[in-house]
Amino acid sequence: MSALVSDEPSNLGDAADSILVARAVDGDVRAFEVIVRRHGPLMRAYATRILGSNGDADDVVQDTFITAWERLHELQDPAATKAWLMRITSRKAIDRIRARRADQPLGEWDVAAPESESPHHRAEAASQRERLTRALGTLSESQRECWTLREIGGHSYAEIAEELDLPPSTVRGLLARARQKLMQEMEEWR
Amino acid sequence: MTSSPDDPDFDLIAHLSDFLDRGESPPDELLNTTPDHRLAYDALTRFRSMAQDILAEEVSELSADADSWVAGILKSIHRESRVGRTIPVSHPSPKAALSLTEGAVRGLIRAAGDAVAGTFIGSCTLDGDVAVPGSPITVNVEASVFWGERMPQTAKRLRDAITTSLLHHTELNIQAVNVTITDVHLRRNATPAD
Repeated sequence: MSALVSDEPSNLGDAADSILVARAVDGDVRAFEVIVRRHGPLMRAYATRILGSNGDADDVVQDTFITAWERLHELQDPAATKAWLMRITSRKAIDRIRARRADQPLGEWDVAAPESESPHHRAEAASQRERLTRALGTLSESQRECWTLREIGGHSYAEIAEELDLPPSTVRGLLARARQKLMQEMEEWR
Repeated sequence: MTSSPDDPDFDLIAHLSDFLDRGESPPDELLNTTPDHRLAYDALTRFRSMAQDILAEEVSELSADADSWVAGILKSIHRESRVGRTIPVSHPSPKAALSLTEGAVRGLIRAAGDAVAGTFIGSCTLDGDVAVPGSPITVNVEASVFWGERMPQTAKRLRDAITTSLLHHTELNIQAVNVTITDVHLRRNATPAD
């Protein structure tokens, strides 16, 4: 912990995203590193939520930063860096999902969700987050993806439909089923 | 209880969700029809705020092994894409061909600017034909200054630091160093609200 002495050289960690982006566009890897440290963990958590597994999420975030480094100069409003990175993250995660699906017979990707867990097991879960995580675990893969993109990522129906290559009406149905299921799962906790 | 599109609750959820997704509140008539409607709507809004908190909570847990993880990412980016133009450097021997990259010069400018307390250099451009020795060059930098600094003085210190560094380390014929203050910043540690 250094004292706040006014003569000390500036610590890049204090710089706004707009400055860091401008520097990274100019080739400053140190500035890019600050961006990675600042936003990477959130992107990693987001990718893990979309994909439902950690290993792929790390690859997704790495891909995202490689793309971001190449395309930083296209970022119109550097103050919106976080949203831009999150958007690339979800695109990359969806690419993985599509690749996974390509290996599966059609129709199996909306497989029935596992049965609800036993009440005994539920009573052990402490935090709201754990409860929500467990409840999300009871959704089908596509329901969970739609829900995550909508509620965590803030994508519109139209965007989700386009990204997942589904009709908007299907997305609406998947989301409604996801919410319905979550509500049942969560309400039993109360 | 099962959920299916035939379930009467299903339409209610979809209907209420539509309001939420449009950022609107459902009309009171709808919410007050039965207590179930209000309960369902409250649950939906609660899930939404939980969803927004969920990542923030997970972030700290994922940060534990950050160093190796960050190193892996930095290793995979293509740094050489930003070297810019080649700037010739004279040498007594006619056989030697020395040069400096534009990227390296930008690095010098940033280092000089960062050494001035309370400032960050943002983007930085060299206007002029750097490939031709002696061409007049104008340096344009954008900078962020610490909140409360006196901008004219800070800009002057930046200009001086950059000019000195370029005179010292390069042969560029610097005509002007233009500093544009684009931002002011606070210390992040002092602003947890970010």
